[in-house]
Amino acid sequence: METKLNHVVLAAENDIKGAQSIHELMNIKAKYIGKKSEIMDLMKTLGSLSPEERPKVGKTINIAKQNIENLLENRIVKLKEMEYQKTLQDSKVDLSMPGYAIGYGSLHPLTIVWREIEDIFISMGFDIAEGYDIEDEFHNFDALNTPKDHPSRNLADTFYIKDDVLLRTQTSTVQIRTMENYKPPIKIISPGRCYRNDRPDASHSPAFHQVEALVVDENITFQDLRDTLNTFVKKMFGNHMKSRFRPHFFPFTEPSAEIDISCVNCGGKGCAICKNSGWLEMGGAGLVDPNVLGKLGIDTEKYSGFAFGLGIDRITILKYNIPGLRLLYENDIRFLKQFTMNN
Amino acid sequence: MKISYKWLREYIDIDLSVDDLKDKLTFSGIEVEAVQQTNELLDFIFVAEIKEKKTHPNSDHLSICKVFDGKDTMQVICGAPNCEQGQKIAFAPVGTKIGDFVIKKAKLRGEESFGMICSEKELGISDKHEGIMILPDDAPIGKSLGNYLGIADTVFDVEITPNRVDLLGMIGIARDLSAQLDVELFTPLLKEYQHKDLATYAVEIKETNLCTRYIANVIEGVKIEQSPEWIRECLIANEIKPINNVVDITNYVTLEFGHPLHAFDKKYVDGDRIIVRNAKKGEEFPALDHNKYVLNGDELVIADSNKAIALAGIIGGINSHITDDTVDIVLEAACFNPSQVRRTSHEKKIFTDSSYRFERGCTEQVAELVAKRALDLILTFCGGVHTRTVDVYPNPKEEEIVVLRPSRMTKLLTLVLDDEKIIDYLTALGLDLLKQDTDALTFKIPAYRQDLTREIDLIEEIIRLHGYDSIEAKPEKEEITDKISFYQRRKVQDYFVTQGFYEVLNLSFSDPYYLDMLNIPANDYRRSFIEIMNPQGQASSIMRTTFLPGLLKNAVYNFNHGQENIKLFELNKVFFTSDKKLGTEKWVISGVLSGKIAPIHWKNKTENINFFYLKGLIETLLALFPINKYEIVPSDEPFYQVNLAAQIRIGKQVIGTFGKFDPKVAGKFEYDKEIFGFEIDFNECLKYMNKKGVVFKEISKLQTVSRDLSFIVSKEYPVQSIINDIIQCNAKLIKEVIPFDEFTGKQIQTGFRSISFNILLVPETNNLTDDYINDLINSIIDKLKSKYHIEMR
Repeated sequence: METKLNHVVLAAENDIKGAQSIHELMNIKAKYIGKKSEIMDLMKTLGSLSPEERPKVGKTINIAKQNIENLLENRIVKLKEMEYQKTLQDSKVDLSMPGYAIGYGSLHPLTIVWREIEDIFISMGFDIAEGYDIEDEFHNFDALNTPKDHPSRNLADTFYIKDDVLLRTQTSTVQIRTMENYKPPIKIISPGRCYRNDRPDASHSPAFHQVEALVVDENITFQDLRDTLNTFVKKMFGNHMKSRFRPHFFPFTEPSAEIDISCVNCGGKGCAICKNSGWLEMGGAGLVDPNVLGKLGIDTEKYSGFAFGLGIDRITILKYNIPGLRLLYENDIRFLKQFTMNN
Repeated sequence: MKISYKWLREYIDIDLSVDDLKDKLTFSGIEVEAVQQTNELLDFIFVAEIKEKKTHPNSDHLSICKVFDGKDTMQVICGAPNCEQGQKIAFAPVGTKIGDFVIKKAKLRGEESFGMICSEKELGISDKHEGIMILPDDAPIGKSLGNYLGIADTVFDVEITPNRVDLLGMIGIARDLSAQLDVELFTPLLKEYQHKDLATYAVEIKETNLCTRYIANVIEGVKIEQSPEWIRECLIANEIKPINNVVDITNYVTLEFGHPLHAFDKKYVDGDRIIVRNAKKGEEFPALDHNKYVLNGDELVIADSNKAIALAGIIGGINSHITDDTVDIVLEAACFNPSQVRRTSHEKKIFTDSSYRFERGCTEQVAELVAKRALDLILTFCGGVHTRTVDVYPNPKEEEIVVLRPSRMTKLLTLVLDDEKIIDYLTALGLDLLKQDTDALTFKIPAYRQDLTREIDLIEEIIRLHGYDSIEAKPEKEEITDKISFYQRRKVQDYFVTQGFYEVLNLSFSDPYYLDMLNIPANDYRRSFIEIMNPQGQASSIMRTTFLPGLLKNAVYNFNHGQENIKLFELNKVFFTSDKKLGTEKWVISGVLSGKIAPIHWKNKTENINFFYLKGLIETLLALFPINKYEIVPSDEPFYQVNLAAQIRIGKQVIGTFGKFDPKVAGKFEYDKEIFGFEIDFNECLKYMNKKGVVFKEISKLQTVSRDLSFIVSKEYPVQSIINDIIQCNAKLIKEVIPFDEFTGKQIQTGFRSISFNILLVPETNNLTDDYINDLINSIIDKLKSKYHIEMR
């Protein structure tokens, strides 16, 4: 019988080696150790053996069965590994083919700069105040100490809707409205669109964008103004940037100054952009004139304030080295596309 | 650390409520983690008298007592052998809860019992459990035991910050409170040593860096017994097990001053010598915790001439501890290096009350105080004679002097206090004013406040005692930013950018002629434009009321410059005349699209922009706000192609339109390709957006069920109306109805279409049975059959 068993095991081993799929292997399993297999037939004869022989023969059959099971098991492991390897082979693709993406558009560069300015000031504790593009003369001129006969009130400079309604020429209007509606401490910037009756050219546009800052609190000094501007300039243009103040006149600030920053192109060495001065004009600043505060019912002995205004369009063209304002409003996709990286 | 209120009152005379004291502690920097009432039970136990005692007829150890509690006489069965007629006892009436056990009316071997006569152990007063607690004859009947004994107490469990070693003792806490509350502090009077014999008992410190002072006092002829009740009570309140009078006193003084002590049995200290040395490598030390530790050699030990008798500052040895047979003792008060104690304690994993304190630091001067205090208490309560004192203090510490400038304090705290107030606060903490100059107060720092070494430390103490709340916050800046609008605008811009759109900026001026080009009728709201008095020309003579002409012109410009795929959007203001002087300004989000949805791709075929792409774009935009309830219905917008124009409606309000530009209109703008557009009122979107935050809902463990339904239906019925009707069959259960296929063709009659829906059922309370689901689907089919005459496929 042992010879017979050896034959069975040998035959099984042969079949198992040849099996190329799990399915094939299952059939082989049924054939050799299934219910109707030779081995099972031999098992059934055990009953007819003598009690002494039975365990010995039973053991021999079991060993044979176990051998076949082990062979099956090993083959399954091997087949699965082969299958896995095949999956890996089949999945080989040309990774250099392009991925599927709908593709990013872009924010307008002015929006990118606008947001950057807002975020810098938000990080410094400023609130964002917004107002109307269409304003009255009071908020645009009178409240800001502008004399009645000041040339900026002319039709040649300002767009009018009605006699005393106009398109705001600066976002200082928002400062006035904020001081009307809120008590100090106030710490705001007011970014927004402004309008002046300028013919469009490389450095002028009848509509443009400005950000103004206003801080009113106890103990606000000229130093706070310088610190705030200095911090802004460094955060916006880099740590190497410097700013300086030149005395100037604005009706609503006293003392007033024009702000220069190091030339973003040459860093102060002098170049065509800064006309060899090393400096670029950025906007105006000063301590809020007590008259302006007083008219709004703010106690000028207790509170003082500073304000400054900067051109967002100008900062944008300086930051990206864009030659003139015209490109900003042409909305050419070939232009806009270049700012995808900045999102 | 635990603070017993009762004990605290020994040092300061205060009568604050528990809550007030908790506040005072917390706001002086001692955080109270828990407050616990001890012996609360005793408020419900009453003094009563046994009026009569009989033996129980059915028991040889029970007796029947008549107990009088001042009001009633009750029968109580008692099993204690020491219960006698006429005794004053502690009585717990029916209903009293002792631990988890509630006393009930009971019948014991046939006799009724109403209440219980208690033992000391049952009341948690002591371990005595043989027999009932007998009270003095003059105990007032009817009074609560808590009231009578006065041992009810409140224990505050507090967290001491690591810098305040001095607060690890009751006196430290009391001192801090006395300074804060401006009350007098009573500290124990310490007697000078009566006896000094420096020669005959030897103390030798080998490691003077690790042990900076060692005081040994020898007391001979003490009597070891139980400590007085008040000491035991204090220890129990601090969860320390009373052992015997000498050990209890060392523990008591530790709790009082925060500086640990140890007592040795003198007869086991060989050679009458204390040596503070490093352990020998491999040296064995049998500790009080019954473990034998093998030492590495880097531990600091207290040794006699032969062996280690304590692990310095951590644990004593079992070879030298105080037992009932002890007669002579050596009392140790010493200072050990905190890092050394910490390292050995953690290495050997021995964490004791002593190691806890020493690793936080100790003071040489306080060692002397505790030595004197413990000596005094031992002589009083254990008897014996003080025979020797040895005090080895190799490098006496210099006094710490700190100068405080009140102006500096004012600069840092914006707090103005006159010098006297400052001096009051600091002297109450134990500092001595040495000199008072203009803006310069010179203080000597007491030894127990090693944390005060700089001016800023004193400034901190002043504000801590004066109260942090005394510094008022400045008026807050009002919120001016319109945050919802501000961030929502950014979100919308970013959304379009991620969808492949370029943002454009057009000036706010426009030409009324453009409105004609868009077929906008005379009564349309977009004709309510604001005119400029002094325009630069006809093309910029009005303020714009729609962005679409500008966007179309931008599209044409780009088309003329070689772009085929165009996706542009603009978010800005439009202006209308209104009854307001300045007119009305509104934010609008607008865009135009033409060409392909996405760039061409080798694997995914790219479709041309179509109505349903645009509709999905708009729906996603609305979901972004989020706006939940809106309808998208046909629109008669004059510039969009008939049948391909839609409006977004919320109730009766139209918040925007979108569609495909009518080819004739596009032609006027010189554009001959398919072009789509949209314009949505951003202000209205803000008005209707859901501003409520999200509240998390438990994720359902119930099975969701998905079923498909396909049928043929006339084209005259819009899909949305069919979907609404399906949902209405069971709105609670049907969470989604998604059309996933539409088909017309030869097999389908003209004017009809085949549609397939996927219906998602999400149960809320029970899993759905097949029968239930089938019934529901059938009811849906019936409804659709009768309303839409559908034909199932």
